[in-house]
Amino acid sequence: MVLVSSFARAEEPGFNRDVRPILSDKCYFCHGPDDGLREADLRLDTAEGSEDVIESGELLRRIFSDDPDERMPPVDAKLALTDEEKEKIKAWVAGGAKYEKHWAFEALPDEVTPPNSSDDGWSKETLDHFVQDANKKRGRQQSPEASPLRWLRRVTFDLTGLPPTLDEIGDFTEALDNGKDKESAYRSVVNRLLDSPAYGEHMAVGWLDAARYADSYGYQSDRLNTQWPYRDWVVKAFNDNLPYDEFLTWQLAGDLLESPTFDQRLATAFNRIHRLNNEGGAVFEEWRIENVADRVQTFGTVILGLTLECCKCHDHKYDPIPTRDFYSMSAFFNSIDENGVYDDSHKVPAPSLFVPVDDDQSAKLKQTRQSLADAETAFEKSVAEAKKRFGDWEPGEDQLEQLPDHIRSLSFDVPYRNTLKEKVYYFGTGDSYPTQALAAVEAKDTSIPRLKPEHSDDGAAEETDQASPRLALQLDGERGIVMPGIEPFDRWTPFSIVLTLKELKRNKAPSVIAQASYGQLTFNGWDLMAVDGHVEFRMYRVWPGNAIAVRTVRPVPGNQWIQISGTYDGSSTAAGLKIYLDGAELETEVIRDRIQKRANIGGFHGGKLTIGQRFRDRGLADWAIDDVRVFQRALTETELHHFATGEPVEPNPDFFVSAVDKDARVALENLTSAREAMVMAEEAFLAIPVMEESPEPRETHVLTRGEYDAATNDETRVVRKTLTNIGPDFPADAPVDRLGLARWATLPDHPLTSRVFVNRMWSNFFGHGLVRTPENFGLQGELPTHPQLLDWLARDFLNHDWDIKRLCRQIVLSATYRQDSKGSDELKSADPENKWLARGPCYRLSSEQIRDLALATSGLLNDRRGGPPVSPYQAGGDLWRESNSMSPEYKQSVGQDLYRRSLYSVWKRTAPLPNMLAFDAESREVCIVKRSRTNTPLQALVLMNDVQFIEAARALAEQALLSEKSTSKRIDMMFRRLTGRNPDKSERDMLTELFESEFAHYKTDKSAAEQLINSGDSKPNESLAAIETASMTIVCQAIMNLDATIWKR
Amino acid sequence: MKRPANPGDHLQTNRRHFFQNGGAALGAAALGSLLGGRSSAENTGASTDHPFAPKAKRVIYLFQSGGPAQQDLFDYKPKLNEMNGEELPASVRGEQRLTGMSSFQSSLPIAGSHFKFARHGESGAWLSELLPHHQKIVDDVCFIKSMHTEAINHDPAITMFQTGSQIAGRPSLGAWLTYGLGSETEDLPAFIVLASAGKGGQPLYARLWGSGFLDSRYQGVRFRSGEEPVLYLTNPGGVCSSRRRSQLDAIAALNRHQFEKEMDPEIQSRIAQYEMAFRMQTSVPEVTDLSDEPESTFRLYGEDAKKPGTFAANCLLARRLTERGVRFVQLYHQGWDQHGNLPAAIRVQAKETDQASAALVQDLKQRGLLDDTLVIWGGEFGRTSYTQGLLTPSSYGRDHHPRCFTTWMAGGGVKPGYTHGETDEFSYNIASGGVHVHDFNATILHLMGIDHEKLTHKYQGRRFRLTDVHGEVVESILA
Repeated sequence: MVLVSSFARAEEPGFNRDVRPILSDKCYFCHGPDDGLREADLRLDTAEGSEDVIESGELLRRIFSDDPDERMPPVDAKLALTDEEKEKIKAWVAGGAKYEKHWAFEALPDEVTPPNSSDDGWSKETLDHFVQDANKKRGRQQSPEASPLRWLRRVTFDLTGLPPTLDEIGDFTEALDNGKDKESAYRSVVNRLLDSPAYGEHMAVGWLDAARYADSYGYQSDRLNTQWPYRDWVVKAFNDNLPYDEFLTWQLAGDLLESPTFDQRLATAFNRIHRLNNEGGAVFEEWRIENVADRVQTFGTVILGLTLECCKCHDHKYDPIPTRDFYSMSAFFNSIDENGVYDDSHKVPAPSLFVPVDDDQSAKLKQTRQSLADAETAFEKSVAEAKKRFGDWEPGEDQLEQLPDHIRSLSFDVPYRNTLKEKVYYFGTGDSYPTQALAAVEAKDTSIPRLKPEHSDDGAAEETDQASPRLALQLDGERGIVMPGIEPFDRWTPFSIVLTLKELKRNKAPSVIAQASYGQLTFNGWDLMAVDGHVEFRMYRVWPGNAIAVRTVRPVPGNQWIQISGTYDGSSTAAGLKIYLDGAELETEVIRDRIQKRANIGGFHGGKLTIGQRFRDRGLADWAIDDVRVFQRALTETELHHFATGEPVEPNPDFFVSAVDKDARVALENLTSAREAMVMAEEAFLAIPVMEESPEPRETHVLTRGEYDAATNDETRVVRKTLTNIGPDFPADAPVDRLGLARWATLPDHPLTSRVFVNRMWSNFFGHGLVRTPENFGLQGELPTHPQLLDWLARDFLNHDWDIKRLCRQIVLSATYRQDSKGSDELKSADPENKWLARGPCYRLSSEQIRDLALATSGLLNDRRGGPPVSPYQAGGDLWRESNSMSPEYKQSVGQDLYRRSLYSVWKRTAPLPNMLAFDAESREVCIVKRSRTNTPLQALVLMNDVQFIEAARALAEQALLSEKSTSKRIDMMFRRLTGRNPDKSERDMLTELFESEFAHYKTDKSAAEQLINSGDSKPNESLAAIETASMTIVCQAIMNLDATIWKR
Repeated sequence: MKRPANPGDHLQTNRRHFFQNGGAALGAAALGSLLGGRSSAENTGASTDHPFAPKAKRVIYLFQSGGPAQQDLFDYKPKLNEMNGEELPASVRGEQRLTGMSSFQSSLPIAGSHFKFARHGESGAWLSELLPHHQKIVDDVCFIKSMHTEAINHDPAITMFQTGSQIAGRPSLGAWLTYGLGSETEDLPAFIVLASAGKGGQPLYARLWGSGFLDSRYQGVRFRSGEEPVLYLTNPGGVCSSRRRSQLDAIAALNRHQFEKEMDPEIQSRIAQYEMAFRMQTSVPEVTDLSDEPESTFRLYGEDAKKPGTFAANCLLARRLTERGVRFVQLYHQGWDQHGNLPAAIRVQAKETDQASAALVQDLKQRGLLDDTLVIWGGEFGRTSYTQGLLTPSSYGRDHHPRCFTTWMAGGGVKPGYTHGETDEFSYNIASGGVHVHDFNATILHLMGIDHEKLTHKYQGRRFRLTDVHGEVVESILA
């Protein structure tokens, strides 16, 4: 019956409406837009492609053939044509086989004229004309208007996610009773709701599903992230009624706007809140590619209503989107300085934005920056003065020999013994697991003077009487030389490391020379690396986006003893990192030059200064190491020259300032302290990953089967480009970056952006969109039930500055929305899914709405807005760690935080809150634009047994007991709050009966009553009798479980 | 439930979505009548004309999370012991990628197994000394020595096994089966998840038993050890069963009253869901209470089975659930991720799982249930034949290895006492009979009477299926 199609009414089939859905579904897989898989060189998705087979009659002959070898689709295809479908195609061919462009790819019309229906007074808004006109053509009547209270409850939930309060119900009823103009009463309710901060909180939920916002990273250990400021921005944007084009532009490209505001940069987190992996052994590039693909997929689904992800591996099977388009789109999203993974929660992935969580933080940062500037000036002054004093300096005997700020030196000339382990060095794997000693080899053929055992920390005094042989250690890449007890160096600490080494075999891959860093996947701290003979010196919190680093321009010589030194001056700049070869400074190039917050924060594994090895990193395998010296000062060139050649230290001004002059050294100490204070002020800030364009776009290639390690060449290289066959041309004057992409997406004739959004907004009110596949506007998506209406809404929305609140107002004041949802049996059987909109919307409330309803009606709701996520009651103890010992633990909130709106509940992707999941909340691992609405026994168990709902029932029961005198009035009050209406007589009778029987029961078992009312953290009201409270709680809970409560009708 | 005379009707007539599918059953039935009797088979996308009758009605999947080392359990490779400590030949390693955990090692020395192997049963299957109880079931089991996958990290690898994709968002195997076949029990969920308690190791994620883009009613229901086997199952303190009954009666009466006004079949469905929930409050404690099992059961499964939450207790519980018509029981046992210190750690793992795994197969067999119950044992990937970390006389570690590993199946229409596929002499590459995860899942569906190419669901314009666009049924392991 539902298949009363145009065809059944013997109309000529339209291509878009009747034929394309068949061809797309059953034929395009082999005869569609995918160049790679096309059979028989035949394509049926274009008129040119099918001309021959249609004219020759081959098409019809093959689809009607009885011969299994001839018939199309072939026998082994997974799908066959039904007789009705064959007849439709036949009729279409008979009518001239006219092709039409897919409706959703046609530019949005400049103007859509509403149908000129004879106005019988039913319509309230323009949109109603479209609905009524279509139904008139079907010979259908619209349903009568729902009662005002029903509308009030509907609109309050749909605009704020909350039920109307008793006062709101009272005011509204009063206004109507007092003969106030009904329209203005309705209108003022809508204005009140749109102005309420709860509006943004409710509207945000759908967007957060689409943006796959969550509070955890989502893979493996699934640690908590810091992305909640983005959630708060979304709420604010809706409440501020930010026009949708700006809403999108900020999220796609806020960082690229001129002098972007904090909010504009924050909004770009949209493209960073996808899941991130931190699994040990993850291949960074694999995950970076995966993350970029997620951005493209999300952009496609949320903004364009297209499924772009299929094109990652092959041309789209149904829509005209070649694989190249996918990668050209991905090029917009891949040029940020990221590494594809995260390590642990402290290290927010770069690039990131500081978010002050209290006012003091910004003030403190400002103040420490000023102090730092002052200290810098003071230091410069002191240096200048010291240089004047230099002329008067007579170096003492020791001053050129006993260089100050020495921390440790190792000669390895005396064989290792266990007494060295605690304070000098030991051999370890993974920085910390002591292991057997590395083999010693004799160091010969070198002019680099040896560090004498008696001057080293590992040479024992009694063994220095005779010259011991000069020994070095043969490194194996697995065991490192770990030096315990050295305070970790950080951004503000000047230090130097001097190493005498010999490379025996060149390795192209980056290998660790020395490091003090933490981490299990990425690292943080500092390191000195060998990269195909070049030396790299880095200090970083998150590589590469939050780092300073330099690399030698030329390689250092292999297969001979050399002395490599790294010195750092504590300046937090790449210029402060210097690399020396045999005492001469090497020319370096800057690799990275921006660092924020501390570099040396603790974490998994490591932390100790180690030579030649790091946990799960490549160590120095084919190298020998001789002397090691560590200083807590940036040594001057003459000192390094001295170590490398044995020539005496030249008493020059640099040396004097650095090593001798007391005032200058004190000034440096002060500067170091000021630097530390500034870094610690940064450290206090919350940071959130955002988009920030790298100076140069990253080179992008088509990747075969989407594999990160697919071969690439000139043929596979792509540049940024929007879709070849869909949408308007890229605006000629727009920058070719995300900002230009945002401009393209919001062009006034763009066929998809406004239709897709208006459609999703419609579903917020009607349960379904006008296109019932909001995730897919492509050829395989459903056709709009009201194409003209969709276009009119989209155009009207655009013409009115993408005003979302205005769109909401139009819908909720429309006659279509106001209809009663019941509908006649005949109507329901003719249109079970309410596609014709001949009756009002009805569906079960969402998980958030149901919990918020319980909290709001019981008075428990804490309406604090924004901030870090809270952890409400969770059944079953710590479900986070129950099956994930790597996860942080679930720490239930205390006090008022238990009663925040569900929007603020912590969203753990791999272990979502079970009471939310039971009511079809999404895990938000990937973007979702439509939730399911199921009806299961688990929902009954949640509503009946979850402490959240029991406590709320008790709180509401207590209010009823306190505010009303009679049982029936108390029942009325609870019923009104929960369902928005008064119970009818039989409902009241049934509930009264329930109360009486519960009361009789609890009278005989007062301890049971006390047990019940003590569910939850809040305490029962002691002025009330436990028996009464308990009995009324049961009644309240019964109401809370009714269809009348948890459904919107 | 009787097998329908015409196997072609199976999917239709067995589709009793009562528990998880309660809504769908009533909803779909109602919808069916509104649609003029359109069968819900069209809604599920499941085939009604598949060419093969189901061999298995139920599945018990003993997932060994972390990646058990095939060389130390099933895949006997004396060559590894001969070459212990020698570098893995480059020709064997080939171009295969390694994880970031061992790719930076300066050498990849071969680690021979520390465990003795012998042949057992009439089939002569090799087993290591770690699995003495498996000796009793080798003639019932079909070993697949040539499994392979693409994923090299745990999260994507286990997600691949259980949902057919490395990326989140797809329905799990159990969800697909429940969606396609419905439920055979009115008192219990059709798809139940059990995990050994307190194991640690690689995490389990809700998505592994999730419903992806299918209706959330098809997701697995987690049963937990302890007082409340299903979350929210227990009445609040101070509410006894009889009072709950009267409260439910009132709710039902009020909802019926509402139905008379609104005439929405969803209300009737809701009433039925509350009844189902009430029944579960009895049926779940009954099935999870093992005290009615005779002592002989515990001799079979081991004393561990008396401790709730152990793998043994869960195997026993799986049998009890299976007996009551639960379609799919998904067990997890974590802790096989032995990057280091493997010889000691794998002993513990084997001890925890060996006896109960074997007992489950024996128990099902003696109850006549093995013929139509498919038991599956395996992890998300295998482990390397070279050591991760240092090789010492007493210890070695093994990194992730997706290129070959062993799983086994028993009952439910697979060939007993059979071994499929071979690896090379290093257990590093597949020598013959490679079985990809998609092939494996296609075979499971086949055994359940489902053509894996036809069990589809249209989402985002595409007909998705468990096996994506791949998968070949492994014919040679079918009985």
